[in-house]
Amino acid sequence: MNLTRRGFFRIAGAAGAAGAAAAASPSPEVRAAAVPDDPYGCLVDLTRCIGCRKCEQACNRVNALPEPERSFEDPTVLNRLRRPDARAFTVVNRYFPGRLDAGNQLVPTFVKIQCMHCQEPACASACIVGALTKKENGTVHYDVSKCIGCRYCMVACPFEIPAYEYHDPVTPRVMKCTYCYERISQAGGLPGCAEICPTEAITFGRRKTLLEVARKRIRDNPVQYLDHIYGEREVGGTSWMYISGIAFGKLGFIDVPETPTPRLSEKIQHTLFAYLWSPILLYGLLGGIMWTSRKRGPHSEAEEGDRR
Amino acid sequence: MKKRIWFLGLVPVLALLCLVVSAGRAAAAAPSGDELALDPAWKAPDQEAARERAREVVPFVDAVVDECQLCRQQRLRDMGLGVKDIVHSYFLLDSPVIKQREDHYGPVRFMHTKHAAQIQDCAVCHHARPADKAAKETVRCSACHQESFRADTPDRLGLKAAYHQQCIACHRDEAKGPMDCAGCHPKNVPDHKELVKLPANPQPWDVTAECLRCHPGAGEDMLASSHWLWRGHSAYTLDHQKKVIHGKGTTAINNF
Repeated sequence: MNLTRRGFFRIAGAAGAAGAAAAASPSPEVRAAAVPDDPYGCLVDLTRCIGCRKCEQACNRVNALPEPERSFEDPTVLNRLRRPDARAFTVVNRYFPGRLDAGNQLVPTFVKIQCMHCQEPACASACIVGALTKKENGTVHYDVSKCIGCRYCMVACPFEIPAYEYHDPVTPRVMKCTYCYERISQAGGLPGCAEICPTEAITFGRRKTLLEVARKRIRDNPVQYLDHIYGEREVGGTSWMYISGIAFGKLGFIDVPETPTPRLSEKIQHTLFAYLWSPILLYGLLGGIMWTSRKRGPHSEAEEGDRR
Repeated sequence: MKKRIWFLGLVPVLALLCLVVSAGRAAAAAPSGDELALDPAWKAPDQEAARERAREVVPFVDAVVDECQLCRQQRLRDMGLGVKDIVHSYFLLDSPVIKQREDHYGPVRFMHTKHAAQIQDCAVCHHARPADKAAKETVRCSACHQESFRADTPDRLGLKAAYHQQCIACHRDEAKGPMDCAGCHPKNVPDHKELVKLPANPQPWDVTAECLRCHPGAGEDMLASSHWLWRGHSAYTLDHQKKVIHGKGTTAINNF
């Protein structure tokens, strides 16, 4: 066999295409290892929130977070939009979507932000050491003892939630809502924010029950609510869900696809590298090429010249 | 002639004295109802009985009659229920149902009769009746609303949320009654008798220093205010809100 440089690429290309076709045909439904069947959830009803920021205060207390720069009772904090950070797992933002009340004043809508505790969390998929895991009760749990500080979770999160203790050079942690894992693991335990909320803007319960509660609220009061439960299907479903009377796009909610974020990356990884078939195929192919061309010695100067 | 002039000078002085006395009497007269409600020192005649009532936890009503708001309103009217049927005119809202979870605020004083007389519609708050035929037509909030997030009644509000949603929505819509947290319930402030440490015969500045020991922010606020700087916005002067900058530090000799 007279293997030329061009010929080599032709064979290699054909083999690669065959490999890709093979990879595409057996497509098992790749699903994250453990999607809990009936996790806990929280339903945030934006029409109920009065923006008192008690949830922020309770979160700070139960998680022993540092004192905020400005008091939780300072209403001027709401004058700018904030994001959860290493010092606050949850924040409440105020929006004026344009509705007017009887006195011609703009009606505010308050939005609480925190980790959504996705059913198929991208952060857990991206985590290379298993520090982030989805627990049976719905929590996306962070284990600081495993974390190596690569911060892939921060890049992966579709809601841009995890924060990092950049101020601590020795023992920095990834900081995000813990869903009060220890508290809700006990009988009758509630997340700090859901417990303190004076208007039950946060309803805590089983995710399936909450979806029914949300649908009932929307059905009973179709004027007050949009027929959309944010988090029911977003990124494959989240444990925290929202209902609102204002379009979510106007309230800072990110428009995310319904496909779980890790689906694509995990599919590529799990199909290409399942049973190491692709490396085996590649090296087998290369070995075969070497085998077929092994008898030929180095090309003579004349042959080289001929081809040119 | 000289004697007569002296007498004329006395007339305005006497008139002024009369004015001062009558004004003092007017101020001493009983305050109006609204002032009573907001006066933190005010105590209802049945304060202790109300405190006892607040401790009661009544059996949970799990099923209520499904009827529309208007139907219920009309039915209660047909029954002739009204202010005259009120058993307890005053409640302290301090239920153990809420306190078992948190205890950050003192009890709310709820004037039942006053609210009923103002609203003239029992069905606004007593919006559902127990399905049990033997039960009373109107029951207290905590009969149907108890712990939050009960698994058997997931769409039922807890007591705290039921209070807040009802009170806040009505106070906002009617533009009456307190709108801030402390307007309804005083915070559970720690007893300052234990906290404040003063010398036996304190000077005024000793007291100020002692206050500032724990409340440094209050001092900083004062130092930034026009009371200290004698210049700045006269924020709450009628018709001059945040428009005129004056004070002893700038344009005025004395603007108090």
